Amino acid sequence: MGASLPPKEANLFKLIVKSYETKQYKKGLKAADTILKKFPDHGETLSMKGLTLNCMDRKSEAYELVRQGLKNDLKSHVCWHVYGLLYRSDREYREAIKCYRNALKIDPDNIEILRDLSLLQAQMRDLSGFVETRQQLLTLKSNHRMNWIGFAVAHHLNSNASKAIEILEAYEGTLEDDYPPENEWCEHGEMLLYKISLLEECRFFQKALEELQKKELKIVDKLAYKEQEVLLLVKLGRLEEGEKLYRTLLSMNPDNYRYYEGLQKCVGLYSKNGHYSPDEIDRLDALYKTLGQQYKWSSAVKRIPLDFLQGDKFHEAADNYIRPLLTKGVPSLFSDLSSLYNQLGKADILEQIILEIESSIKTTSQYPGGMEKEPPSTLMWTLFLLAQHYDRRGQYEIALFKINEAIDHTPTVIDLYSVKSRILKHAGDLVAAAAFADEARCMDLADRYVNSECVKRMLQADQVALAEKTAVLFTKDGDQHNNLHDMQCMWYELASAESHFRQGNLGMALKKFLAVEKHYADITEDQFDFHSYCLRKMTLRTYVEMLKFQDQLHSHAYFHKAAAGAIRCYIKLHDSPPKSTAEEDNDMSKLLPSQKKKMRQKQRKAEARAKKEAEEKNEESSAGGISKSGKRQAKPIDPDPRGEKLLQVEDPLLEGTKYLKLLQKNSPDSVETHFLSFELYMRKQRILLAFQAVKQLLRLDAEHPDSHRCLIKFFNKVGSMNAPVTDSEKLICNVLEAERQTISQLHGKSLFETNNSFLEKHEDSLTHRAAFGEMLYILDPSRRSEAVKLIEGSANNLVPRNGALGPIREWTLKDCISVHKLLATVLVDQDAASRWKMRCAELFPYSTYFEGICSSASPNSAFNQIRKSTETGSSNHWVGDHNAESTSNGKLEAFKDLTI
Amino acid sequence: MEGSDEGVERVVDSKDLQQQSKAFDKLTDRVEDRQLDSSRVQEAMASIAASSEADWQAMRKREKELAAVKINAADVDIIANELELDKKVAERTLREHKGDAVAAIRHLLR
Repeated sequence: MGASLPPKEANLFKLIVKSYETKQYKKGLKAADTILKKFPDHGETLSMKGLTLNCMDRKSEAYELVRQGLKNDLKSHVCWHVYGLLYRSDREYREAIKCYRNALKIDPDNIEILRDLSLLQAQMRDLSGFVETRQQLLTLKSNHRMNWIGFAVAHHLNSNASKAIEILEAYEGTLEDDYPPENEWCEHGEMLLYKISLLEECRFFQKALEELQKKELKIVDKLAYKEQEVLLLVKLGRLEEGEKLYRTLLSMNPDNYRYYEGLQKCVGLYSKNGHYSPDEIDRLDALYKTLGQQYKWSSAVKRIPLDFLQGDKFHEAADNYIRPLLTKGVPSLFSDLSSLYNQLGKADILEQIILEIESSIKTTSQYPGGMEKEPPSTLMWTLFLLAQHYDRRGQYEIALFKINEAIDHTPTVIDLYSVKSRILKHAGDLVAAAAFADEARCMDLADRYVNSECVKRMLQADQVALAEKTAVLFTKDGDQHNNLHDMQCMWYELASAESHFRQGNLGMALKKFLAVEKHYADITEDQFDFHSYCLRKMTLRTYVEMLKFQDQLHSHAYFHKAAAGAIRCYIKLHDSPPKSTAEEDNDMSKLLPSQKKKMRQKQRKAEARAKKEAEEKNEESSAGGISKSGKRQAKPIDPDPRGEKLLQVEDPLLEGTKYLKLLQKNSPDSVETHFLSFELYMRKQRILLAFQAVKQLLRLDAEHPDSHRCLIKFFNKVGSMNAPVTDSEKLICNVLEAERQTISQLHGKSLFETNNSFLEKHEDSLTHRAAFGEMLYILDPSRRSEAVKLIEGSANNLVPRNGALGPIREWTLKDCISVHKLLATVLVDQDAASRWKMRCAELFPYSTYFEGICSSASPNSAFNQIRKSTETGSSNHWVGDHNAESTSNGKLEAFKDLTI
Repeated sequence: MEGSDEGVERVVDSKDLQQQSKAFDKLTDRVEDRQLDSSRVQEAMASIAASSEADWQAMRKREKELAAVKINAADVDIIANELELDKKVAERTLREHKGDAVAAIRHLLR
């Protein structure tokens, strides 16, 4: 390290390194410049100067200097190490590892380089390499605590927990008997808990329990101690002791559902699927009554019995649960009860209970059988609950009637408008839903929650510009909605992307979907600094938990939505490439000269406007960089603000494949993953990979309409291919021949027969009939009318129920919209599509898609008539801006007479 | 030379952000390692066993077996291309299935 420099300069070089390590970059830069005055070609000094500049955001200079330094001194491990650090800061981990390995060839026992290498190996999950490197570090510096811990963790991650235990025990053997000193109680306690979790992982339960109890005094985290102890007791079958300990934990936190579950296990009353015999239900009921006496303030102890009670007992318990919450006015009551709707029969009982309450309060101001007068608000909250109930059951007219009744009762409660918005969304009127969400927002301009809900409804209604303006009310000054990207606001980016996709703006849609993907890439990188930090802090259990979470990161639902959306964009780009300039010129040449002139003028104006807008945007971006302190921080200007460059991708399917592989690895249990895989690989002519997708679909849900579609499409295509000629084709043919035997749907049948079998099994289901019809048309286009007739002949049956009020039908709005699109764009029967639309307009009168009579899309609807009169009677535009100071009543007026 | 990605001081315009920035910076601060008693360390090092020798031998034997399998180079290319795999992966799978291309592909389609 600078050995060739004279003593004075060698000391300065050490100062550069020290300054770098302590982040005093200006100081280090000064020292480097001093050395370079006398020794301008010194490789190591050039490298260190480059590294320092890299930390000062002067990256291009940094690379230049580091490469120059390395070139001047190829045999210096310092130069190679620095080059690796530079690559690492740009997340080029593989290149960085190469540089570190080159450095280690020159100086095999360099502690700093080995440590940096181990960090990269942990980041890249090169676990066997990680073990090797940590072992080398321990061998070289065995008196450093961190090296022992690092080695143990490396073995744990490399699936060798028992080895990790050995190492930790050897490490403990190095400690004094009175260890730890007062300032290291927490670190040592965490290490002990980690070791015990390793023993548990190796299923050494008895030894783990003994160790835990022996070290009780040294473990600071008492809650973790108790929770670990109770888990071990249960696993050892010592249920009485476990029960006692769970009761202790419940006294500490009586709203932790896991403690109740644990207690139930200890007394032999736990069922994984939630099914209990009548005797078990009685015992559970008694248990929770006893616990209810002990923990009167706990919500959990009152709510959990609703999950297992049935019939009359459920009726009674639910009634007792609901009444105090209605009196108190708890808006989240329906969300609390929501999971009960998935259990057979409970929705009907809940309906009965709430209707009885409503009726009784309206007539007597008391609960049924109650003695006390209820305050007026109880009726409003009852109506609020009923509206959500009917919304959940798909009876939107009744739901709207109830919520309107509640609004008439108390028009100043924000939650009422939010729920009305949600009901309208479910009923299919997204525009009205957005309007009511905006109404709710205007009633509390300081609440970001209602602001965000409003933004989301606007995006669902494809009002992107308005949504952006509304969202900006809560972003930092000057940052516009770029702040939402900086703060990783994924729900906004996903909703915005979906809206752009629906409107055919693939560039913007792709830009937003890829922005979400970038957030996940950033989150992956965020773990890097913790590989050394957590070893120092000894928070090992949490560190290992984080690593496992990171390994599953791309399984998260938001990533799935973003990747699936991006793939859909790329497929659409492939199927309909954007017109090139030459093609547009051809279109232009067919026009008359006067039309040509007009067209060119339009284009020129549009270009001028776009240019002006872009310039204004850049100015705004620059202006935002000047902070209050007067320093100027240059914000990187977005090189592709409208996503147009993303549309110019040469091979959309290749880009799509990148995200598809992530979905296949991280969301293998999603039907959508393999459906997209099928669509993409069929277009790429990868027959075997498309077949793999079909196999996965059949594995997940052989009866799913999309699985059926892919099966028929695949074998129809294969059947129409020419006889194999090349070796490749012959091999593929042989594989498919062998695999076909394993598909039961095809045994001894033609594709027509397979399709018919599918229909016979599912003739009552609209979505399955639609899939059958589509496949019939694909197999034989001349039978289109037969396919159409079969789809139109579907019956919208009643859902069986005991209930009293109104019918519930099977068809959902979403499925009916899909069928309409199928008729219009796949089967291309516009008459049938029109008939279907009229039929569905009656079934879904609030749907803007079907232009139902009650929807805001109908020209005769009350909504539009009121809007017209409002527009003509007012000087303000109806969809105006909303200033932060606005005290506007929003659009309540426009919906007052909305008909039911 | 423990590396740091942190750049120059960030521009901050509120106390909260200052505190956040400071806290994040602390994450990558330079800290001296804790030292242990060196006389006890010697004993502990001796107790770390080297059981990796046997594992290594088993792996070597497996690799030797696979290397002896005869395969068709054209099959490797076809599998790598059709299934969009790295050639090394395709070759290894083919060897594991004794050169039977159909069986190898069916395994990869699993």
